[in-house]
Amino acid sequence: MAIETSNECMTVAQAQYLLQNGVDCRSVSDDPPRFQAGDRVRAKVIHPITYTRLPRYVRGKMGTIAKVNGVYVFPDTVGQRLATKPQYVYSVRFAVQELWGPDASPRDCLYIDLFDDHLDAT
Amino acid sequence: MNGPHDMGGMHGMGPIPIEPDEPVFHSEWEAKVFAMSFATFCNFFPVDETRHASERMPPGDYLSSAYYERWLYALELLITEHNLVTPAEIEQRIAELAQGE
Repeated sequence: MAIETSNECMTVAQAQYLLQNGVDCRSVSDDPPRFQAGDRVRAKVIHPITYTRLPRYVRGKMGTIAKVNGVYVFPDTVGQRLATKPQYVYSVRFAVQELWGPDASPRDCLYIDLFDDHLDAT
Repeated sequence: MNGPHDMGGMHGMGPIPIEPDEPVFHSEWEAKVFAMSFATFCNFFPVDETRHASERMPPGDYLSSAYYERWLYALELLITEHNLVTPAEIEQRIAELAQGE
């Protein structure tokens, strides 16, 4: 279902609350997370012309689930007003040599929060 | 989208300038752009729609614009795309303000 906005002007109290607390993007899911810490995953290769939180430098790369962060609304569809599509977000660890090649440090890793829709099981 | 915002791995951008005691806003217009944009967050535009709007700025403009210039671009794009304000009304107001100075 498409996302409707209220199109009502914000009150001072609402503005103060938002400034202090930010927008709460957490949500809930009846399903357990598809991945657990330690699982190997591959970031999808996609090139949508619409909004996405999946940066180019991890697309197609293999990583490891470091942590299950919880369930959040999906910015990729919220950005198009399509649906909130709540889903699990994971902290995914990539060896920097997987991202940048053999000239990168063999000891360094990059952690990035990715949504379930961004990941494939391997 | 594969826009100019997705800069991970790009070369040649130079060091990130670090300002000691950086102010929240560098000039009054930045505070006004923040206030106008903030007033539309959630109530008129989902916040990710505003993020995507700034990414739709032409890449050359995006890379040579300041942070709140991108916010202003996004705000003008969305309020006109959703027919809250017409581009002609924006131009008219700019002309009025220019005359008043």
